[in-house]
Amino acid sequence: MILGLLASTLSLSIPLVLAALGGVMSVRSGVMALGLESMMLFGAFSAVVGSWFSGNAFVGLLCGILGGLVIGLAHALLSVRYKMNQVISGIGLNLLATAATTLFMQIIWNNKGSSATVASVDVTLSFLQNIPVLGEIFARQSILLPVTIAIAIVEWFVLFRTPFGLRLRFVGENPKAASSIGIPVHKMKYIGVAICGMLAGLGGAYLSIVSLDMFVRDMSASRGYIAVAIGILSRYNPVKAMLAGSLFGFCEAVQIYLQGYGVPSQLIQMIPYIVTLLVLVFGVRNIKPPAGVGAHEDD
Amino acid sequence: MNRNRLKSLVIPLFSFFLAIVVCGIIMALCGYNPFTAYSIIFSGAFGSVRNITNTLIQASPLIMTGLGYMVSKRAMLINLGIEGQLYTGAIVAALIGMTDLHLPLILHLAVTMLGGAAAGGLVGLFIGFLKVHFGANEVITTTMTNFIIINFTSYLVNYPLKADGAVAQTERMLETALMPKILPSYQLTYSIVIIALVAVAVKFFIDRTKTGFEIQCVGLNQKASAVAGIKVGGVMLSAMFISGAIGGLAGALQVMSVNRRFIAGFSADYGFSGIAVAALGNDNAIGIILSGIVFGALKNGANILNMTSRTPTEFVAVVQALVVIFVSAPLLINEILHLGAFRRKKKEGLA
Repeated sequence: MILGLLASTLSLSIPLVLAALGGVMSVRSGVMALGLESMMLFGAFSAVVGSWFSGNAFVGLLCGILGGLVIGLAHALLSVRYKMNQVISGIGLNLLATAATTLFMQIIWNNKGSSATVASVDVTLSFLQNIPVLGEIFARQSILLPVTIAIAIVEWFVLFRTPFGLRLRFVGENPKAASSIGIPVHKMKYIGVAICGMLAGLGGAYLSIVSLDMFVRDMSASRGYIAVAIGILSRYNPVKAMLAGSLFGFCEAVQIYLQGYGVPSQLIQMIPYIVTLLVLVFGVRNIKPPAGVGAHEDD
Repeated sequence: MNRNRLKSLVIPLFSFFLAIVVCGIIMALCGYNPFTAYSIIFSGAFGSVRNITNTLIQASPLIMTGLGYMVSKRAMLINLGIEGQLYTGAIVAALIGMTDLHLPLILHLAVTMLGGAAAGGLVGLFIGFLKVHFGANEVITTTMTNFIIINFTSYLVNYPLKADGAVAQTERMLETALMPKILPSYQLTYSIVIIALVAVAVKFFIDRTKTGFEIQCVGLNQKASAVAGIKVGGVMLSAMFISGAIGGLAGALQVMSVNRRFIAGFSADYGFSGIAVAALGNDNAIGIILSGIVFGALKNGANILNMTSRTPTEFVAVVQALVVIFVSAPLLINEILHLGAFRRKKKEGLA
């Protein structure tokens, strides 16, 4: 049972961690990540559309990344070029993604609740199945598990060990100063938010065509907001975001585990949201985002 | 009307126009004729007395949630929790309404409304408390509490409070707790009078009272307000309480005049629509009444359009989301307006 719980913790953490990694990138470049929900949801939807029309799940995965990217670029355009309040921009896009995905789902599949079933990504780490213990935890995990871990490590390296990462963080801390020494502030922010969109889109695609094979209305279920909390809890550090993300993945795993024991599902489903609330209230005091979040270079 | 006020109307109106156009294009791409669709919506919303009363019924919760969202927004607090506060107000109102308090109609109505408003206000106060004392971002805390409240109320009407039958809902409320109808054969109730009173009260509160003034100050500049001696934390708490109370009252009025009982998941995203209503209403109580009616008309008209032509009603939500984005991005709207002016000049130059 413990091994099973561990295995589902890992698989349920993946979308949260991917979105949180995106959020970290965005916040580090100085743009709030409250639009993560829309990037995930639109990524999940685009992935299903891609898989439906091509019949190939990997094309779907790619479309999911692109779908997230589109919303990410919209968020960047609104908040960087048009200096829109980043909170409102995020919320507006979240509303738009919910509305647009439901509308397009109606148009394509003539159904308000869910899409048709499509080809899903079923490549797993099955080569591990003969190893005791490890096999039980890892053999059924999707190929996206090692991919996610690799992304987290690469992102950490890029942010903290490369000149590019230094510049990106500089822009996030003080766009005015960064601009004065010639760093292209807008370009850095666009890159940060674009990467955020792609990662959140991949996280959404995982929800729709890796752990499932269809799109369900509002299937991101506020995971984008939970990912924002994960980003804060990790102090905007990709490797720690992976660990913080698995805490929330564990909550979801417990939730699914408890459903087999006759506890009313409505009560169990509250668990991840209560934990997020508790973490936000007690776990992240004194954690400050980069100083330049929401600021413009010409303020 | 002076120039500035006229100017402040241009952005919301043009944003709405732009959203309608974008949606028209989407409809056209999907094979629906947008002009026929919009004319069916218009006649569906205003074509007869019955249609107009139905539009007002649709507009009622939207005006309330718009007002609630606006009060917190004036203090620069983003209360996404109106949806949860609406559910809280609705379930408390349904419980009070089910209970025989041996009260005459007017008193039972008042107690039911006050109970719903107080319950929603407490939820708002809780969010404010987390913000002021723990620095917890209200956008995330409200999203989380929405989920918790919607799930918990759903648990309540699925188990302890469930009425007999298949549907997850409470027992019907007593006649003394139901809003009376204005005209005998129409569904419209006196709750629209209450809503108008709330709008006037909100306007008076924001423009003419000390706390209202302090809310505006905190919204404009928190640091300067603190320097000027305003207790920022206290002001935020009162803004969140009032915002939540209006959300709670919205839920109470909905069960008292439409549903007559609490039904699990009854809200058609009223709380989130309030964000668009407040945006189009220019964060002004009277503007919100008008924009609530506009969106109510769209919803009502879209339902009728859906019956006649199977056009999905979801495009209304798309219009709402686009309005939220466009209204809050005046630089974008300016650029589009200037682009138009520039083209026109170019044409004139060529001619």
